[in-house]
Amino acid sequence: MRGTLNNQSLIYLQIARMLEDDILRGVYREEEQVPSTNELARGYNINPATAAKGINLLVADGILYKRRGIGMFVAKGAGETVKQKRKSTFYDGFVKPLVKEGASLELTGEELVSMIEQAIKEERV
Amino acid sequence: MNAGTLKAQGLCKAYKDKEVLHNLDLTIEPGKIYGLIGRNGAGKTTLLGILTAQNTKNSGEVTYDGQPVWENQKALSDICFSRELQPTLFSGPNNLKVKHYLKSAAIYYPNWDLNYALRLMDEFKLESKKKISQLSKGQMSMVTILIALASRAPITILDEPAAGLDVVVRERFYQLLLEDFAQTGRTFIVSTHIIEEAASVFERVIILDEGRILENAETEELISQFRYVSGHEEVVDRVCNGLQVLSTQQMGRHKTVAVRGDMVKLEAALEADVDVSPMNLQNVFVALCGHGDAQ
Repeated sequence: MRGTLNNQSLIYLQIARMLEDDILRGVYREEEQVPSTNELARGYNINPATAAKGINLLVADGILYKRRGIGMFVAKGAGETVKQKRKSTFYDGFVKPLVKEGASLELTGEELVSMIEQAIKEERV
Repeated sequence: MNAGTLKAQGLCKAYKDKEVLHNLDLTIEPGKIYGLIGRNGAGKTTLLGILTAQNTKNSGEVTYDGQPVWENQKALSDICFSRELQPTLFSGPNNLKVKHYLKSAAIYYPNWDLNYALRLMDEFKLESKKKISQLSKGQMSMVTILIALASRAPITILDEPAAGLDVVVRERFYQLLLEDFAQTGRTFIVSTHIIEEAASVFERVIILDEGRILENAETEELISQFRYVSGHEEVVDRVCNGLQVLSTQQMGRHKTVAVRGDMVKLEAALEADVDVSPMNLQNVFVALCGHGDAQ
């Protein structure tokens, strides 16, 4: 895990997101163990109940699963699940605010699209 | 560690004519870390004193596992209230040496963990031969913390443990608290004015305002009910219609309001041309207890 907590969103959501990031980056691979509730609590100085809430969110999404008496593990296909989950919120979380900001700057649809195409080109260089 | 439930019902307390707690109900469930926050003079220390039978009440009842705590040996040996030590006090514990103060705690708390106490003495670099009155404010807080942690009491209450501590020691304190909590699962109640850095440690938060319990809620659940909404006043007013507006700030036509409401309505605000930002516990506290004092 890396990163630090901010107060821009609820802590359990941040914990869940950081674990997801680390799964996408290959810090934790499929069938590998992730830090326990207590380790997370100690590492980030947060209440274990909050850490557990973050982990439980990922269990509910099928990204982590519990091995009784051992701990929490990364599920098979977790990376793909995280990507799917993020794709489904990409529209609301990124595309809509982009269009909204564009509209308040009175950018036309064509201008917006060409800027996106430009950014895609630059990303590929 | 099996702690019982600590419960206050219909608590009233007055100092002379001034009532400081008004018909207050509170339930402390076992196995949780509670944060108690309130403004100066809200009644925090009075409430904690009454919960632990160290202070009298005018009416109402405090029970532990269903039994009144007053003169109840079993309850009192299960509950540790580590009071804030006052530098200006020239009586009471201030005349004691640190080691004698700790010795009295060892007698008082049946679960006293001497090794733990010595370890903490060492870590905090406290000199056992010094008198309490010779300690700095920060060192007094360390003594308070040491007694609370080493008491190993199933219900442990700390009043302003962070007062006078530098930021490094404060962080270390919350670490120690969480480590001990992970091991023992005992109940903690911690009062503090340094809200934001403690917020993530509290599973539940109790907000006391002018002698009344305003909230006793799961910390993150509470925070998630609040937002700042800002933008053009007409749009802000339209969006916030039906939401509980707690405070308003206006600069020309620009308006910022602190609102509380259900998630669906708050999400709806995101659609309009306004900025919606989340709050932290400190923001929530100011919105609820500020009473327009801070501008």
